[in-house]
Amino acid sequence: MQEIAHTIKGKDRYRSGVMEYKKMGYWEPDYEPKDTDVIACFRITPQDGVDPIEAAAAVAGESSTATWTVVWTDRLTAAEKYRAKAYRVDEVPNAEGQYFAYIAYDLDLFEPGSIANLTASIIGNVFGFKPLKALRLEDMRLPTAYVKTFQGPATGIVVERERLDKFGRPLLGATVKPKLGLSGRNYGRVVYEALKGGLDFTKDDENINSQPFMDWRERFLYCMEAVNKAQAASGEIKGTYLNVTAATMEDMYERAEFAKQLGSTIVMIDLVIGWTAMQSMAKWARRNNMILHLHRAGHSTYTRQKSHGVSFRVIAKWARLAGVDHIHAGTVVGKLEGDPATTRGYYDVCRNEFTRQNLADGIFFDQPWASLNKLMPVASGGIHAGQMHQLLDLLGEDVVLQFGGGTIGHPMGIAAGATANRVALECMILARNEGRDIVREGPDILVEAAKHCTPLRQALDTWKDVTFNYASTDSPDYQTSVTAAA
Amino acid sequence: MRVTQGTFSFLPDLTDEQITAQVQYCLDNGWAVNIEYTDDPHPRNTYWDMWGQPMFDIPDAAGIMMELAACRKAHGHLYIRLSAFDSSHGWESVKLSFLVNRPVEEPGFRLRRSEGEGRNIRYTTDPYSTDRPEGSRYQG
Amino acid sequence: MSEALIRDTETPAAAPAGTVDLRREYEEAGVRDVLDELDRSLVGLAPVKKRIRETAALLLVERARRRLGLAHETPTLHMSFTGNPGTGKTTVALRMADLLHRLGYVRKGHLVSVTRDDLVGQYIGHTAPKTKDILKKAMGGVLFIDEAYYLYRPENERDYGQEAIEILLQVMENQRDDLVVILAGYADRMDRFFESNPGFRSRIAHHIDFPDYSDAELLQISVGMLERQNYHLSAEAEAMLARYIEQRRAQPHFANARSMRNALDRARLRQANRLFERSTGPLDAETLSRIEAEDIAASRVFDQKRPAAAELTEETR
Repeated sequence: MQEIAHTIKGKDRYRSGVMEYKKMGYWEPDYEPKDTDVIACFRITPQDGVDPIEAAAAVAGESSTATWTVVWTDRLTAAEKYRAKAYRVDEVPNAEGQYFAYIAYDLDLFEPGSIANLTASIIGNVFGFKPLKALRLEDMRLPTAYVKTFQGPATGIVVERERLDKFGRPLLGATVKPKLGLSGRNYGRVVYEALKGGLDFTKDDENINSQPFMDWRERFLYCMEAVNKAQAASGEIKGTYLNVTAATMEDMYERAEFAKQLGSTIVMIDLVIGWTAMQSMAKWARRNNMILHLHRAGHSTYTRQKSHGVSFRVIAKWARLAGVDHIHAGTVVGKLEGDPATTRGYYDVCRNEFTRQNLADGIFFDQPWASLNKLMPVASGGIHAGQMHQLLDLLGEDVVLQFGGGTIGHPMGIAAGATANRVALECMILARNEGRDIVREGPDILVEAAKHCTPLRQALDTWKDVTFNYASTDSPDYQTSVTAAA
Repeated sequence: MRVTQGTFSFLPDLTDEQITAQVQYCLDNGWAVNIEYTDDPHPRNTYWDMWGQPMFDIPDAAGIMMELAACRKAHGHLYIRLSAFDSSHGWESVKLSFLVNRPVEEPGFRLRRSEGEGRNIRYTTDPYSTDRPEGSRYQG
Repeated sequence: MSEALIRDTETPAAAPAGTVDLRREYEEAGVRDVLDELDRSLVGLAPVKKRIRETAALLLVERARRRLGLAHETPTLHMSFTGNPGTGKTTVALRMADLLHRLGYVRKGHLVSVTRDDLVGQYIGHTAPKTKDILKKAMGGVLFIDEAYYLYRPENERDYGQEAIEILLQVMENQRDDLVVILAGYADRMDRFFESNPGFRSRIAHHIDFPDYSDAELLQISVGMLERQNYHLSAEAEAMLARYIEQRRAQPHFANARSMRNALDRARLRQANRLFERSTGPLDAETLSRIEAEDIAASRVFDQKRPAAAELTEETR
């Protein structure tokens, strides 16, 4: 949908009154984005009768310099530079009334190294704008110059592996269940059993903070007893993500300091603490040689629906800039939302050195990462040992596989569940490296390995038929004939 | 006990044929394979002794297996691991690391606790084997 | 020999159980391709080509016998290539590595070509790691040791070459699945080397002798070399080159095809100088590609008056 420019130039542009956004310079179809521009791709659904071009221009205006009326004070500024420019509008394939709008923003619009500032513009006022029925931020191209102003993951995949001395396979974790109600002493029991049985990590759930049944200090003390005991029992480095999420930054720092003092290698936070708090904790983690796990609690409120909100691939990009080390990014085969192509796109955003445009996976732009550390994706929710071949094939080896129910729900106990997962993982890596076709032969490989591992045999019997096959609510919309902007 | 460091420690000890296949996988990826041994299996003992240097530009696993045989001949009573290094930008570290030899008896680790105030405990992990001086451990 | 290698070449419509279709295996393993390539790329060398065809047949039959359970041991495949310099030993070694690979006798089929200096160290403790490094790189393929007799220097008791020899012998004996060694050099010196090192002689099953090229063959080789670089000889130049070959053979340091390559390099140099100094107008492709008789006649090989010719090195001829 390429139209001509409507921009009014000269003194008429600043005549008082209301003027269409596309006439104010927010629609520039001839504009070629600069290497230093931030580019956003929005999915816009204009109200009935609203011209999509005008809607795109309005999004550009409202997410940058515009207000509802012409202001003479624009003329005191280099306004043409600061105006965001919608430069391309495409119909969304197979979705009537929806359009992809590409908008370029000059780098000077953003404070260096601040996700809060970036998001205040890009997803600020504009999402409530009346002429739109719905608005979704699909993807962003963050220029190298801007990426370089962020710390990036405090530790990164490579250094995390070096610290843990674990290479060549996914890491294994489990979330302690039940998520609420265990005392500190009982909670630590689960941690010990799971780690001793063969997992690398255990994890607090997102809503375990400091509640009447368990003060956070109790949890930390008992968890570290469990971690150290499991470490001595196996000769391997173990860890548990101690959730330091709290009401204030002061509380979070206090909890993180205590975790560090106890010798933990890792702490965790929830996405709901907000971008500024996340960036603060990322800097704390870098300063204190700690790994920082992010639980994406709350993201589905705005990532799940296709027509409105923010795509998770954008959240993943922001999280990599903000500097967390782990992020939950979907499982494909588990109980939570995620189609394979879209999920592959999220994983690429986390782990690539350079993410190439790939419309089939929902990646709209080439994205340079400028040597920012890699972000370890975490797969969690409804996965079990019997899916190991699929998980490895879909997600690769730089991932944390979290088997919560798939460990603690094992009929012979938590340690047996952990062992089953570890053996399933190691036999699959061994087979993959030997050149076997694990997707096809996976079930046989597991059965073969189970011959010398009773817990695995039990796990395979218990969960052999568990799958979650529902249609995904978020999958990429593209046609091979559609080309996105580079 | 059984030290479970390395990628394949939960499986039965790998046969030479299985090790060869893993080594070939590393070589086919262009990684340099290194042989290391130690008599101190502490989980944070990073620097095991190197059996020569990482082996670069080797197309076939037989070359590595020849060195492994030599290392086992000299240090067959200790822990030996193979590590593969990827020099490509953005990684420049180990890509795969697994044990290929372990002592007949693995006495394991003592966990020392020193109680501090406020119920704080300082933990120290000591391999029982390191009670004896370096060079005289795992002598049977 | 691992089963995997044999599996590679199995085909769905194989001969009935308990039988072997040699012709079919010959085609499918690609042996014909290697032999054809050898025929195409090397002029002459009829006895060598014959020996290689025989060796290929032997290996093919050996493979079939193993499959039918008639043979179990990996046959000894180490070889010696004897002959004067420039007779095609390295080229044939490359093809041999390919052949052994296609038949499943080596896993990778690469050729690592070395001389004494690559194997033998300068100080105590240097030789073993050096030799082993080369062996490690060569495993899965073929190790080609040119002028192998230099490894053995009986005049020096403490020569480190002996250490390399011992390691080589051990690997040649114990790791026949992993590596094939080809020793190369002048026939007479190789004979003496084998006499003093019976360990090598007993471990080498195939001896191939590379005869010198005839004058006509050398001329044909030269024409081929020039063609590949988009040059050609004028009729007079070809006659001159034939004379050159006759003369050159009688002089010291003659190295067959290698001498021809050097002679042609110098002829191209003279051609370039001639064109540069004498041309006045534009030159066409034909002129730029043609070697004239004078480009060859200027060689010092024809300069019979110079008694010092015998002392000239290959480089200045």
